[in-house]
Amino acid sequence: MMQLIAGQLINGIIVGSLYGIIALAVSLTSGITGVVNFALGAFMLVGAYLTWHLNETYGVAFPFAVILVMGVVALIGLVADVLLFRHTRNNLINGLIVSIGLVSVIVALVHMTWTSTPQNMQPFVTGVFTVGGVIVPKMKLLMGVVLILIVSMTYLGLTRTWMGRAAYAYAQNPEAAALMGVATGRLQVGVAAFGAALCGLAGSMYATLYSLTPDIGALYMLKGVEGALLAGIGSVIGALFGGILIGVAEGLGSVFLPLAFNDAYGLLMLVLVLLFRPAGLFGRR
Amino acid sequence: MRVLLLVLCGAVALVPALTANNVVLSVLTFTFILGILAVSFNLIYGITGQLTLFHAAAFGVGAYATHLSMAHWSISFWLGSAFAMGCVAVVSLLLGIVCFRFRLKEFYFAVVTLAFAEMIRLVVMNWHGLTNGSLGINFNLKPSVGVPGVGALVIEGPVRWYYFSLACVVVIVLAYQLVVNSWIGNAFKAIRLNEDVAASLGLNAFRYKLLSFVLGSMGASFAGGLYSHYMGFVDPHLLDINQSLAILSMALIGGTGSVAAPVVGALVVTALPHLIDLNAEWRLLIYGLILILTILLMPQGIVGSLQRLRKHA
Amino acid sequence: MRKSLLNFLASAALSFGLASPVAAQDAIKIGQIEAQTGPSSYLGFMATQGAKLAVHQINQAGGVEVGGKKYPIDLDSPDTQGSPQQGLIQLKKMLEQDHRKYIFGPTLSNVFNGVREYARGYDGKLLMFAPATAAHPELGKPGYGFLLRPVLFDTAPEGFGTYMVEMLRSKGAKKVAILMQNDAFGRFAVDIYKDSFAKAGIEIQTHWFEASTKDYSAVLARIAAWKPDYLFPGYTDAALYDIVQQATQLGLTKFWLVRGSLGPAIRNKASIDEYIAYMPKYFEEAEKVDSKVAKFIKDYKDFFKVKDFPYELAPLLFMASYDHVFMLAEAMKRAGSINDVAAIKKELLSMTYDGLWVQKFDPVGGGIHSYEIAEMRRGGALKMTLVKPASK
Repeated sequence: MMQLIAGQLINGIIVGSLYGIIALAVSLTSGITGVVNFALGAFMLVGAYLTWHLNETYGVAFPFAVILVMGVVALIGLVADVLLFRHTRNNLINGLIVSIGLVSVIVALVHMTWTSTPQNMQPFVTGVFTVGGVIVPKMKLLMGVVLILIVSMTYLGLTRTWMGRAAYAYAQNPEAAALMGVATGRLQVGVAAFGAALCGLAGSMYATLYSLTPDIGALYMLKGVEGALLAGIGSVIGALFGGILIGVAEGLGSVFLPLAFNDAYGLLMLVLVLLFRPAGLFGRR
Repeated sequence: MRVLLLVLCGAVALVPALTANNVVLSVLTFTFILGILAVSFNLIYGITGQLTLFHAAAFGVGAYATHLSMAHWSISFWLGSAFAMGCVAVVSLLLGIVCFRFRLKEFYFAVVTLAFAEMIRLVVMNWHGLTNGSLGINFNLKPSVGVPGVGALVIEGPVRWYYFSLACVVVIVLAYQLVVNSWIGNAFKAIRLNEDVAASLGLNAFRYKLLSFVLGSMGASFAGGLYSHYMGFVDPHLLDINQSLAILSMALIGGTGSVAAPVVGALVVTALPHLIDLNAEWRLLIYGLILILTILLMPQGIVGSLQRLRKHA
Repeated sequence: MRKSLLNFLASAALSFGLASPVAAQDAIKIGQIEAQTGPSSYLGFMATQGAKLAVHQINQAGGVEVGGKKYPIDLDSPDTQGSPQQGLIQLKKMLEQDHRKYIFGPTLSNVFNGVREYARGYDGKLLMFAPATAAHPELGKPGYGFLLRPVLFDTAPEGFGTYMVEMLRSKGAKKVAILMQNDAFGRFAVDIYKDSFAKAGIEIQTHWFEASTKDYSAVLARIAAWKPDYLFPGYTDAALYDIVQQATQLGLTKFWLVRGSLGPAIRNKASIDEYIAYMPKYFEEAEKVDSKVAKFIKDYKDFFKVKDFPYELAPLLFMASYDHVFMLAEAMKRAGSINDVAAIKKELLSMTYDGLWVQKFDPVGGGIHSYEIAEMRRGGALKMTLVKPASK
């Protein structure tokens, strides 16, 4: 039993870090562009398929494929922001609906290009670590490490660089930031691109671990939003923790309770947290 | 405008006389039933400004509750429907209290309602003893209407269903219109425009948001009962999130500004796949584009845009 | 404004009337209602492809020759999108507007549930080849004379389920863990196998998952702790790739009654011990030894203008599609009529058709067909066993 719990704790943290990256993207983009972009899940979908395609069809080595894909998806996010979300800056609901429309468009394009036949990539690293009876696949561990690293770098970037602090300032007080000379338009577009790149990374990581079908974006989007809300919009490291908490809740929940209700465990936790801390665990109002 | 409306009403009422085409009758019957669903959604979203993603759950729970109560207690459709509306009212009351008490803002409200809808869907999928899970329940019970002088008229067959659903949507729309025209409706609109200002003027926003949410969800429950009896079965797909998104598009396409406009949206969403025979993926693409373009170019929907044109013409 | 609205209404009304495809005089009209998009669309996609190709080939040969005259086939295959509402409206159009009498599909149970009551109203004037799981209990029941189900019932005497459970018993298996999708088919499958396992003295543990699940580590860890002899996993490739990979990582290496393609097995061949799969047909191998299959693959690529043949999806053709269009044509020839539904059904129930599969029907309209069992061992060594139904 202890092994089961320990195993699911570790797995929950790792799977949760994947949710956390998406949660980070959600938190950043909504904190700064004002819109919760459901298309982030679709960006992850594109990232996953592109990574698989580059690796299987063109033989591009996984690390290079990841970097390439992050660039491409960042570009897609940038274009989407300039074409669409620029017009819904201050209307959260309109932006949400436009993003839902964008999801349909992207999923349809993925469907047309690659059909709905499930695809599967060879994992970048195979094999497992066995520690005290607990089994952890090596690739999962690698993914966890990479994602935590990226989130840490993002945090440092936001707090130590000029650009990052400008972003923080903008999130606190848009008018003041503009008065202080922060190029707010460019900032928003930049954050949109960065958020998309994060999702591209998430997609690449996903592709090396799980099978691909055109519907995977929606699931992770929901988990990402749950993680972001749990942490509270505006908290960077918090978003990662939010995702991890969702992952752990699901893992531990599935140990003691039926797997059939897996998605509900995270949702329940989110609702409970929101009831007692509407700003999220680490958020500030 | 009035003349046009009358012509439209006349045309709609005479359709079964003009065509025996069962396909047209079916599409319109579905339009009326889903119109109730879209109109009830719009009470919460378009009129009161709260984006709810709980509507499919209210629809599905209403369908199951209506059928199960009829099957287990041998009651009529109307009693079953009332029971279902009661159940959904209680659930939405609780959910609404939870959400609005804690002053969850619009986006959070959307996600929490979605969360609850998903949880309820999982319960319906797994509670085999009650709902038969993913297999769904097939049945042959039909609603009947007591007509004075004739007795009980069983609603079956395309023509009866057409008029029955038409009557239902007209009654529901009129009922909601009455609410919206009253001081209650004014409160709803005030909340949509600016909740904080409305509250500072003495409006109990909590109470009115709750009322809007419960009234809207009850409408969805009634639509669920109608839909499942028309199709002859219930299954957990009724509670899918895609259903909620479809309802949203109906409201957006028809127009969120008036009570009745979403019915036009329901017509478009229901009839379009049959008018245009497109490759499947293209349909998904176009659906997404319609959603995007409607928000960006035509935020008032079809009816709203027509009204604006009329003002400028 | 008034004009444009009236125009809109008028054109809408007209297009309802004209929305049906213009059909040739004296053609055999068939319809197909399948989900070509949406969840589980891979089932409907292949069914549609198969039917289209079959119709094309028959028409190219001049049509179906019945009573000295040749009739082309007119096929309408709209997409139900997995929606019972859509399927119902499409079926109504087919039966009432276009007067189609022969319907292929639906494969999805929820769509079948949506159309069954309506279809019963046409009992005696309609033949429906419905692979849907929900159709099975209705075969032979009053009011369902129109229904045929071209899918082998797992635990029927000729069914592969019976064969497989016997295989399992003879291998000495005592504990089987079931990890199944929580949908109509999954529920049905577990229901019917529960009895077979009980009779064979095999203990089972059942776990359900939502079809969209990707990470099975929690449930697989629980299953591994129970130390089963075999894992009986969910039935689609989308789930199997993940289940097999993650299960082998946790030490579960024996898989039984896998459906779907051999893709997950091949991908994980270094870590599995035994992988026993039910394959309607293993096209990659069949292409090499069976000229009929090789020709089919070539025809498919030519007709649909694709470079790659969908090997993983092709096995799904065994359901209401390619072979069955030919069977229908053959039945019409033998009955000497294209409209006498009762006579055509009688011929269908009495024929054995040797197409891509050996196909026939049992007395109530349930499908019986040949199939293959694949056994893969660690390293990829593969043994295929072909099982043919007993000839009448």
